[in-house]
Amino acid sequence: MTGSNEFKLNQPPEDGISSVKFSPNTSQFLLVSSWDTSVRLYDVPANSMRLKYQHTGAVLDCAFYDPTHAWSGGLDHQLKMHDLNTDQENLVGTHDAPIRCVEYCPEVNVMVTGSWDQTVKLWDPRTPCNAGTFSQPEKVYTLSVSGDRLIVGTAGRRVLVWDLRNMGYVQQRRESSLKYQTRCIRAFPNKQGYVLSSIEGRVAVEYLDPSPEVQKKKYAFKCHRLKENNIEQIYPVNAISFHNIHNTFATGGSDGFVNIWDPFNKKRLCQFHRYPTSIASLAFSNDGTTLAIASSYMYEMDDTEHPEDGIFILQVTDAETKPKSPCT
Amino acid sequence: MGRKKKKQLKPWCWYCNRDFDDEKILIQHQKAKHFKCHICHKKLYTGLPPVPGAPGMPPGIPPLMPGVPPLMPGMPPVMPGMPPGLHHQRKYTQSFCGENIMMPMGGMMPPGPGIPPLMPGMPPGMPPPVPRPGIPPMTQAQAVSAPGILNRPPAPTATVPAPQPPVTKPLFPSAGQMGTPVTSSSTASSNSESLSASSKALFPSTAQAQAAVQGPVGTDFKPLNNTPATTTEPPKPTFPAYTQSTASTTSTTNSTAAKPVASITSKPATLTTTSATSKLIHPDEDISLEERRAQLPKYQRNLPRPGQAPIGNPPVGPIGGMMPPQPGIPQQQGMRPPMPPHGQYGGHHQGMPGYLPGAMPPYGQGPPMVPPYQGGPPRPPMGMRPPVMSQGGRY
Repeated sequence: MTGSNEFKLNQPPEDGISSVKFSPNTSQFLLVSSWDTSVRLYDVPANSMRLKYQHTGAVLDCAFYDPTHAWSGGLDHQLKMHDLNTDQENLVGTHDAPIRCVEYCPEVNVMVTGSWDQTVKLWDPRTPCNAGTFSQPEKVYTLSVSGDRLIVGTAGRRVLVWDLRNMGYVQQRRESSLKYQTRCIRAFPNKQGYVLSSIEGRVAVEYLDPSPEVQKKKYAFKCHRLKENNIEQIYPVNAISFHNIHNTFATGGSDGFVNIWDPFNKKRLCQFHRYPTSIASLAFSNDGTTLAIASSYMYEMDDTEHPEDGIFILQVTDAETKPKSPCT
Repeated sequence: MGRKKKKQLKPWCWYCNRDFDDEKILIQHQKAKHFKCHICHKKLYTGLPPVPGAPGMPPGIPPLMPGVPPLMPGMPPVMPGMPPGLHHQRKYTQSFCGENIMMPMGGMMPPGPGIPPLMPGMPPGMPPPVPRPGIPPMTQAQAVSAPGILNRPPAPTATVPAPQPPVTKPLFPSAGQMGTPVTSSSTASSNSESLSASSKALFPSTAQAQAAVQGPVGTDFKPLNNTPATTTEPPKPTFPAYTQSTASTTSTTNSTAAKPVASITSKPATLTTTSATSKLIHPDEDISLEERRAQLPKYQRNLPRPGQAPIGNPPVGPIGGMMPPQPGIPQQQGMRPPMPPHGQYGGHHQGMPGYLPGAMPPYGQGPPMVPPYQGGPPRPPMGMRPPVMSQGGRY
């Protein structure tokens, strides 16, 4: 059931959706990567697909370098850059295993990729060319840029914080505070810390400053759990997206729910209606007015029959995304 | 005046001056009626090794053997059948104080006089050294007020083994000691509160537990260390949920670290996904959902083999040179439905013109593929590719 402030995108991908990202300077354009090997650009207000290009394997992540260039990578190990104006494609480089994450760091002007080959690679977007390969202790599952720092979440629940201006050494080595596999990490827009989610219906709010008095503020909470017949069903929390202005964040889980949280008052601000299937990806637009929700089955339970995958666009209000009381 | 000794001295309760036939009954009575914290009125605990027959002791606990070294130096050995902590008392009472004199602290305690005026409600010394189960009563070598039990709040924490006071201290806290507030039977959490107040370094997690956490709507926000599943050591949490699989997780990650190109076929660690009351909606293997999905055959077709870079492909401009320009998306309808995923091959196989888009025969699957936006169960085109194609897809 979509309300008047919500609609479903036309011409969705033909298989699962792996990632949705808004253009950096407008909420008009949305980049979508999919398991059907395509990367698509949508004009959201017009609800139409503007452009599509292909990989040779499922695409696991995509990102805007700038409003006219899209980068993407996936199971085919290839990192591609696509000029959205000229529709020109460019194979920038490769990893030795599937590329799981593609992100852009505006402060350092570098593209970052993380791969299951246990490396993170930096790329100069102007040339474009490789600007370094950096080993991680495990396969990279998620990464997020915070200012000029990079937070990498790997298998084995490791978290590494790198200084993108000085990649000679790891700035911080941490272990996830959650007991289960890390699913997603997203950094606070205010660069104070990051939010980490696991496969066990739990989210941790962590701070980057390693001093003990700041570390004391970290906490975790349970979410995306449903009680059915006295059995608690615990779902992975697959997606996190921050509202740039309010520093609140939305989480999406395999239960099909999207929650918006206020990390300062430690409250949930809002929960939307249940979506047809697992939430694979979330993206707030840069101005915080629009939320893109990718509802796409993630094969948690091996079902071959599942509800149709789709992308929902939601206009959000301050009531849903703004902290209720003045927060510290 | 009067005899100091009787032939047979029946045990009596020196709190209420009641006679009892049996020692056991006496102890039961004392525990039931008198051994209470004067602040919170909860029952006190002796803190001494359990003795069978003592009320509250579970059955099956073996009695202390005779001749077992005493709890404190200078005290007689614990004898089976003696009430815990009480035997010494009685002796002194008998020999020193005479009968029915309310002087529980016998000759051992120098400041005898200070005792009776003790708070009436306070069991003057009988109360078995209190709050900390397991901590021997004498935890401090202080002159008067011996056992540091009552000094617990300021005292070092449970982890500090009590230095036994030398020799002549009775088992029981002195009257003076009784004066200090005995937060004895406070619960563990308040224990940790006081502890954390005094010794922050030891339990950083508990200090954190005190941070004000507002109750949110519909969910519980808890400091990391209070989450039921986590432990109390934030810097290095242990992970009971990974009990069985911890070892295998470690070994698996070690093995995969050795091979930079992690082959997904190595046996992944498993999770405990089901318990009596909860079920984790996740496959049992501890690999990410994307990794697991990538192993499905339909996503494996045209991927480069591990170790081979899928190249042969100079970083050029439009690979779509082999294909009509893409922008006209709506053209998809009838034009090249099977092509999009395969279109790349045109670029990769420079020498294989046979795979030009539009050439249906190599794929042999034209008709079913025509409408790209059909509803229904998604079946990616790749799944229908004949083997010929997949070979072409690999280098």
